[in-house]
Amino acid sequence: MTKNKFSLRRSVNNMNLVRFRFWFQIVAFVLIVYGGYIGLDLGNKLPTFACVFNGEGTGGKCYVGELQHDLKHPLEGFVGFAGYAFLISLGMFMVWFWALNKGWCGFVCPLGTMQDWLTMVREKSKIRYSEYSWANRGKIKSIKYILLILLLLLPVMIANSVFGLPKLPNGLSMPFCDICPGRMMIPAFTGHFNQFYIDFSSKTDLVMTTLGMIIVGLFLVGSFVKKRFFCYFCPMAALQYVFSKPALLKLYKDGAKCTRCGDCYRACDMDILEIADDVTSKNLVTEDCTLCLKCVAACPEEGCLEANFMGATIFESTKEGFILRMAMDQRGEKHAH
Amino acid sequence: MHTEHTIETPHQRQNRHKAMEAISVINALKEDFKFPIQSMGYFYDLFETVYCRHEPLHEGKVKIGTMCIQIPSEIIYALDGVPIRLCNGFYTDDEIGSDLLPQKSCPLVKATVGWFASDNFSDKPDITFSPTTCDQKTKAGAIIESFGHTVIDVGFPRTKESEESHHYWRESVKSFAVKLSKFQGKKLTRSNLESAIKKIGYAQSLYHKLTEFRKNKAVPILGVDMFLVTNAFFFDKIDEWIGAVEKLVAELEQRASAGVNVAGKASPRIVYTGSPPIFPNYKIPLIIEQSDAVIVADETCSSNRMFNDMVAVDEWNLYDMIDSVSDKYLKACTCPIFTQNDDRIRRIIQLVRSYSGDGVIYQAFAGCQVYEMEQRSVLAAMEREGIPILYIESDYSPSQHGQLTTRVEAFVESLKNRKRMKK
Ligand code: SF4
Ligand code: SF4
Ligand code: SF4
Ligand code: SF4
Ligand code: SF4
Repeated sequence: MTKNKFSLRRSVNNMNLVRFRFWFQIVAFVLIVYGGYIGLDLGNKLPTFACVFNGEGTGGKCYVGELQHDLKHPLEGFVGFAGYAFLISLGMFMVWFWALNKGWCGFVCPLGTMQDWLTMVREKSKIRYSEYSWANRGKIKSIKYILLILLLLLPVMIANSVFGLPKLPNGLSMPFCDICPGRMMIPAFTGHFNQFYIDFSSKTDLVMTTLGMIIVGLFLVGSFVKKRFFCYFCPMAALQYVFSKPALLKLYKDGAKCTRCGDCYRACDMDILEIADDVTSKNLVTEDCTLCLKCVAACPEEGCLEANFMGATIFESTKEGFILRMAMDQRGEKHAH
Repeated sequence: MHTEHTIETPHQRQNRHKAMEAISVINALKEDFKFPIQSMGYFYDLFETVYCRHEPLHEGKVKIGTMCIQIPSEIIYALDGVPIRLCNGFYTDDEIGSDLLPQKSCPLVKATVGWFASDNFSDKPDITFSPTTCDQKTKAGAIIESFGHTVIDVGFPRTKESEESHHYWRESVKSFAVKLSKFQGKKLTRSNLESAIKKIGYAQSLYHKLTEFRKNKAVPILGVDMFLVTNAFFFDKIDEWIGAVEKLVAELEQRASAGVNVAGKASPRIVYTGSPPIFPNYKIPLIIEQSDAVIVADETCSSNRMFNDMVAVDEWNLYDMIDSVSDKYLKACTCPIFTQNDDRIRRIIQLVRSYSGDGVIYQAFAGCQVYEMEQRSVLAAMEREGIPILYIESDYSPSQHGQLTTRVEAFVESLKNRKRMKK
């Protein structure tokens, strides 16, 4: 038995995921938000909210911002070279995305990380989190797709008259950026608070920037009471999910080993019921999953859940790991949290 | 020592009969098998102390009776109570209960009711919590109350898939905690619940270590011994139990590396499921292991189901701890009282696979409707999976011994043939 030997695999499976993620997210946050100052530039196709409005600080740029920009062209333009260029940038986005799959959300996205920090503050203040009812949880799933379609469509409708409708005003050229909490929150970390404004120059700008301010307020309050509040509505998550199937990093489940104890569901910040209840699918990267791997860490059944990279298991649920993480490995009462 | 003139009171008679039942099982465990385990001595002594000598274990402590596994012992320990699980395996008590319940009732329930009716406890529960699980347990609560005991019902849902059930059960557990906290005059806090959760979690982790050894080719411990160990958890002092199991784990480690096998090379490996074997009703497990088979795993509420699932907390604050305690007792539970029971079937199959089981023995108590009703679906599923299964109905009476032995032996023999053919 490998049990008695020291092995890398065993120590990975026994790791304290909470601590690992905490530090990983900090490093990723620093690279994305401050990386620009040390010359880091990961390009403008990143599948995560590396905000363009963060100016010099940003270590790369968010593809959702870029995408809106790309789409604001007359349709004729897409036939020729511009069409290729568009596909190439989409391709670049996919390549980035495939490396980590939705792990970008669980480990890299600065907006995700900020929400996790707010969760920590709430937890420390001993305030209970809130949950959606299962019915509402199901209903809000479609909102992110609606936002995605709007952010794709509106720029096109500025440059083109779609279905004979009049072209839209230019104030909607980056419709999602207007309401994206990243536009205000991320530059704030490099000392730029100039995105907190309401633009009175036109009616559209007024409406959109006001909406933006409201959404930032909701983002802060919402993610304090509800874990990952914003991620439930995030169009980036919707865009990612479209391309998730061929990604290299996967969350796999062996349903035969699952007792449906629900430990994984309780740990899941995205309240994904399938993670516990689905005992037939192998790939459990569902639309809202952030690949945070908290479920793997919380599962007590040997080899039931696993993070898999290109066919190789990198982190899997084990009894021993579970017992260590829950501090149930010793008799005494010395494990105060 | 008694003088010759004393007339035996009903309690003395009951105790004498129970002692006889108990000692014959303890002796069988001690003497009928090869390679006895030294650290099992603690458990043999414990059962002798409690059931032969009727000595109390928890004098001066408040004892909280529980009628099923669903009453969270984490909360009882956090509030300074001692949980005593009242599921009873004595034929003597079953007979007393028979006069008070319909004839075709479950012997376990009859024995529990009989125990209360006689009011003859060495550790008498000060208050008893009764979860509304199977019909018979549910109704037994009121009957026991009519004898003058304090019994409090704890509402338990019969579906576990729905959202309403989750909320209902979480609320039930909260109200149980409030009632017990009032009864004990003690507040449930983050720190007392956290240490109770971790202590029980540690006890469970030891159980998991024990079961790991049973996956080996050479099985170092008998199924009947394992039943006794888990059964002791019903009433033992938890710290003593932990200490004894730590020793047992250490001894099994040695035995495993020395390749000690309590069974024969060709002994079929059995997964046991169905109505719970509760001391001293080890009739079927004993017959199995005396017929040259060995029980390597079980799916019963007196053993595996009680230990397998541990509380998993995400935020170590009171709100989340109580919810995770509640979820532990509902979600993975494979009790037959639930409407759907695919989980139980998947669990049995998984046990057969991971413990290299050769066959399944499914016992239902005559009178346990839910286990009787689930028999068909389990049998069909095992057939689909190509797993041999034997279904047995039994009760607590010593009478059908011969017939049961014949059936078990025939099954074991067929498993052996199957094994030979495979080779
Ligand atoms: S505002 Fe939001 S969507 Fe726009 S570039 Fe910044 S992070 Fe991306
Ligand atoms: S869902 Fe959106 S906001 Fe949340 S982590 Fe992913 S990209 Fe960031
Ligand atoms: S924690 Fe593991 S065993 Fe429990 S429901 Fe989730 S996947 Fe299944
Ligand atoms: S399913 Fe697992 S990996 Fe996905 S969000 Fe939930 S806890 Fe994280
Ligand atoms: S064996 Fe059956 S009838 Fe008896 S207590 Fe258990 S579930 Fe109820």
